[in-house]
Parts: sequence; structure tokens; C-alpha cells
Amino acid sequence: MSIVELVRLALSRIGSSRLRAALTMLGVIIGVASVVALVAVGQGATSGITARLQGLGTNLLTVNPGSSTQGFTRGAAGTATSLTADDANAIAALNGVAAVEPEISSQQLVAAGSLNSTTSIVGTTADYATVRAFTIWQGSFLTPATVDAGVSVAVLGATTADDLGLGASAIGTQVTIGGLPFQVVGILQAKGSSGPFSQDDQVLIPMATARHYFVQGDTIRSIGVSVATPDQMDLVKAEIQTTLEQRHGIAAGGTDDFTITDQAQLLSTVSAVTTTLTILLAGIASISLVVGGIGIMNIMLVSVHERTREIGIRKAIGARGRDVLAQFLIEALTLSLLGGMVGIVLGVAVSALIGAVAGWGFVFNPITPLVAVLFSLLVGVVFGVWPARQAARLDPIVALRYE
Amino acid sequence: MTEPLVHLQHVSRVYEMGRLQVVALRDVDVAIQSGEFVAVLGPSGSGKSTLMHIVGCLDRPTSGQYTLAGTPVAALDDDRLAALRSRAIGFVFQSYNLLARTNALENVAAPLLYQGVSRRERYRRAGAALERLGLGDRVDHSPAELSGGQQQRVAIARALVTDPALILADEPTGNLASDQGAEVLSLFRELHSAGRTIVLITHDQEVAAAAGRQIHIRDGSIADGEIAA
Repeated sequence: MSIVELVRLALSRIGSSRLRAALTMLGVIIGVASVVALVAVGQGATSGITARLQGLGTNLLTVNPGSSTQGFTRGAAGTATSLTADDANAIAALNGVAAVEPEISSQQLVAAGSLNSTTSIVGTTADYATVRAFTIWQGSFLTPATVDAGVSVAVLGATTADDLGLGASAIGTQVTIGGLPFQVVGILQAKGSSGPFSQDDQVLIPMATARHYFVQGDTIRSIGVSVATPDQMDLVKAEIQTTLEQRHGIAAGGTDDFTITDQAQLLSTVSAVTTTLTILLAGIASISLVVGGIGIMNIMLVSVHERTREIGIRKAIGARGRDVLAQFLIEALTLSLLGGMVGIVLGVAVSALIGAVAGWGFVFNPITPLVAVLFSLLVGVVFGVWPARQAARLDPIVALRYE
Repeated sequence: MTEPLVHLQHVSRVYEMGRLQVVALRDVDVAIQSGEFVAVLGPSGSGKSTLMHIVGCLDRPTSGQYTLAGTPVAALDDDRLAALRSRAIGFVFQSYNLLARTNALENVAAPLLYQGVSRRERYRRAGAALERLGLGDRVDHSPAELSGGQQQRVAIARALVTDPALILADEPTGNLASDQGAEVLSLFRELHSAGRTIVLITHDQEVAAAAGRQIHIRDGSIADGEIAA
């Protein structure tokens, strides 16, 4: 018997008991749909997080002060006041460093007309946009000239501008920061991040200006370093470490009073975590696929029992054991495959919906449905073989007598 | 003398039921020539069903030789036995044994499925077989939509569709009203006169009278030998 004949037989059988077939397939449908949807959710989350991290700046190294120690009490990381503008200049002079931006910051009230917002005021240099991968939406960024002159100009983050009711027409107008007048020269393109540490909610002003009005002393909060090419990351990181250790008088192998954070490292850690989560989700979803398979086996066993007489007749008129085996196996496979296809459509729809709600868009990986279909076929074979063997082994005499 | 189509020599069939041994057939010799119409007559429990199962290649003898159309059956495995059934035997059962929820045409075409005949050819031959039995207008009726006599004629069409060497009918009139039974028997006589070999198993003397020769079976043995009528 050819496969075509067997599939035709299976389809006509499924067609003659549609409700039962639909209920049997439901298990596989839910299983496949949840595998497809959850894997898509995992991959969507991964690509969303990765995109956001890459948005922080490519080839980025961040140097932060270490923890301060007062008496015997060690403070939190970043509390030390060990980094200076000279450190930033020394790093800028290293090989493989494309750009450097030192930052200092202060929380201040920003006001425009009747609207105001308390946000982070960052004093930095013209390289900030390059290192942190910001693009300007309106106006212009801080220029080396304005930074050196220490004039009162400000570049607003997208969220901050929004909060203050400022649009494209705000370029050239005045806002007050901590009660002092600043001229708005530019508004940044939004990066789309949100939450309390949003990169879109800040105001950038020249380093010297911030130092003059808001931040005392000569220490800096962090130094962002953009490395020329990705393969130089480790080299530059080592160079920065050596340079700063020398400048701070720390013996090699001693406790550093600064930390260097590698963007790529963070990225690979995050993607390792999300990959594990995706596998976990897929694993949990697979359980429902197995349960669906058991549903198919259950129905096929009932079906073999109900159709004992049919099996006897078929054997009497010339069906071999393997013909009966093939008939029941193909029937189970057809059920699981049909269920798998419906499941894929459902899963893709659900993942598109979740993607739209969560905001990472529609992530479609053609591998997932392929794997899901193969898996549902496997389920059909694994859970279809046993009932089919039961059918094939029936003694025709016993089967014909069966009522 | 040519080799008989159905040839049983010293055939015994013993069922093991736990520690009990039940002898259903004891040293049976039967020879049926091609073209004969033979009735196997015996009361229930006489072993005639066992004989039918062995002749029909649904079962194998415990001991003895059975040759069907020149093929020794004892040596065949289940698959070869099924292939032999498909090629050489057409069954007609007391309870028709049609596939439920399957129309007359599909029922008649079913044996050809296992011979690997193409779909078009299957339907052509099944349609022709139904036509011959006067059921040309019932091809798309399901068994439930047909009378007992019509169902049995569908079953006979199914038995004939593969053009088998032997038609094996087990109480074919047992479930039918007497007029429909008579119709079926006259159909068998027609087939016989057209050259078919038919073995009819029955407990009914009147039914057996339709055949050209009778083999009486009692307590697992041939009662009055294998006497040609």
C-alpha cells in the first residue's frame, strides 16, 4: 500500500469522526503552540535586551571608581573619589582608544515655563555622543568649543524634553537648571529605554559648567571609553588597568580603586541567561507536547479496540500485519501532524501578539516551527507505534469473532 | 488426476487451553477439485469452523499437510499467508462483515487495495462486480442503508472482485430471511456453473443440498469420508 493510499484512508477516517479527532489534536496543538510561542518570546526578549545593551554604545568600556574605605568600613562600589579628569586624559592617549568621555553628575530641578522635572544633570565632553552612541534629534550636540568655554548650554534627553513639553521649536529657548538659565541647543534621539535609570531622561551640559555650578572637587563619576575595534577590547582594558594602577600608585596584583566594565562581557552574560531561560521555557512547553502525544496514544488504543472487527475483516481480505500497522501509524501521524500545523499557526499568532505588547516586535525564527513539526511527527511515531502494533498483531479469527 | 485445489492430508488442529487440550480436528483428509461446489455440513461444535479457518488460511494445522492451489500452507509466515488469502480466497461470512461507515463501492474495492491495484482500476473492477450482482444503483450506499440480502451480495461482490481460485462461504444464509437466502444460494449455483470453486460451510441440510457434493463433519472427523456425489 502506498503512503498516498494510507493518508487517504487516515483522512477519511479522521473526517468521519471530526469532533474526536479535533479533541485528540488539541493536546498536540497546545503543545506545539506553546513551544513555538515561548521560544519566540525567549528569542524576542533576548534580541530586545541585546538591542538595548548595544544601544548603550558599541565597543564600550566603562571605568568607575572603586569603593571607598573609611576606617574599617568598606563602602559601595563607586563611592571612592579616585578618578580624575587627568585619568581620563591619560586613557584618551592610549593606543586603540577611539574616544573618551568623562562624566560628573548631579540631580537638579529643570524647569521650562510652568513645567518642571527633577533629573540627572550630566557634565561631559563633546565625545559623549560618540561613546554612548547617541544621535541628535534636533539642534546640535555639545561642541568642543562650548565645552572648553564652559558656557551655559544644555542638550536634553528625549524623555526630559517630553516631560518639559519641549519639541523641535524649543531649540534656542531657555530652561532653568537648579535656578540658573541655560540655552537649549539640542534634543537627543530617544533610545527607547524606560524605567528609573532611563538614558533618555537626562540633561547634558559642558563638563566645566557642571563643575562650576553643581559638582565640587575634581573627581569624576565615570569614564566611558570607546575602543576602536572589537578585537582590541581586551588589550585596551589591560592598558587602562596598567595605566590607572601606575597613576594611582597601586602595585600590580594589589586591590584596584576602580573597576572596568566590559560591554561585550555584559552582553554575553545576558545572552547566556536569556538563552538558558528560552531553553527552560521550551522544556516546560515540551511537557505539554508529550501530554498531547499521550492523548493521541490513548485515542489510538481505544480506536484499535473499537475497530477490532474492521481489523479482522481487513486481514481476512488480504491485509498483512504491516498493512494494518501502517494504517494505524499513519492515522496517528496524520493526527499529530495536523495538530502540529494548527499549533504552529496558533503559536506564531500568539508570539506576534506578545511581541507587539512587549514592544520587541515580531520575531520569527523559521527553525522553531520546523523543529516543532518534526517533534510532533516524532510524538506521532512514538505514541502511535504501540497501538498500531497491537492492531497488527491481532489474530484475524479472534478479531472476526469480536463483537 | 490433477492436484486438487484444496488438499488436506491428515490435518489435525489442537487448541491448548491452559493444561487442557481440545482437539478440534482429528486426522482430516479432504480433497476439493477446481470447479467443484462443496458443502461442509455439520452441527455446531463439530469443527467445521476450524476447518474453514484452515482452508481459508486464517489458521494453520497443528499437524498434517494442507496445500492450496499447489502452495503448501504450513510453511508460510503470517505475511505470506495474508498474501495467499488476498490472491486465492474470497470470503463470505454469515454476518456479512462489511466495513461500517464505508460505502458499497469502497467495501468491494478494499481487497484490491492490498494487491496494490491503482485507485481507478479498483473502482472500475468494484463497480463492475457490483453491477454483475445487480447492485449497480447501490454503489454509494453504506451497509446500514442496505438490506441483509443486499449486504450479503455486496460481500459476495467483494469476494469475487479479486477473481480468487476459491470462494469460501461460512453460513452465508444464516442471517437472512428464507427468500433472500434462496436468492443467495441460487447466486452460488450460478457462480458454480460459471466455473467457480465454492466451499459452503453450513449446519443446514437444506442449504447443503444446493451444493454438488457434501462433506459431513462430526466431532472433528469426516463422518462419511470424502465420497464424491
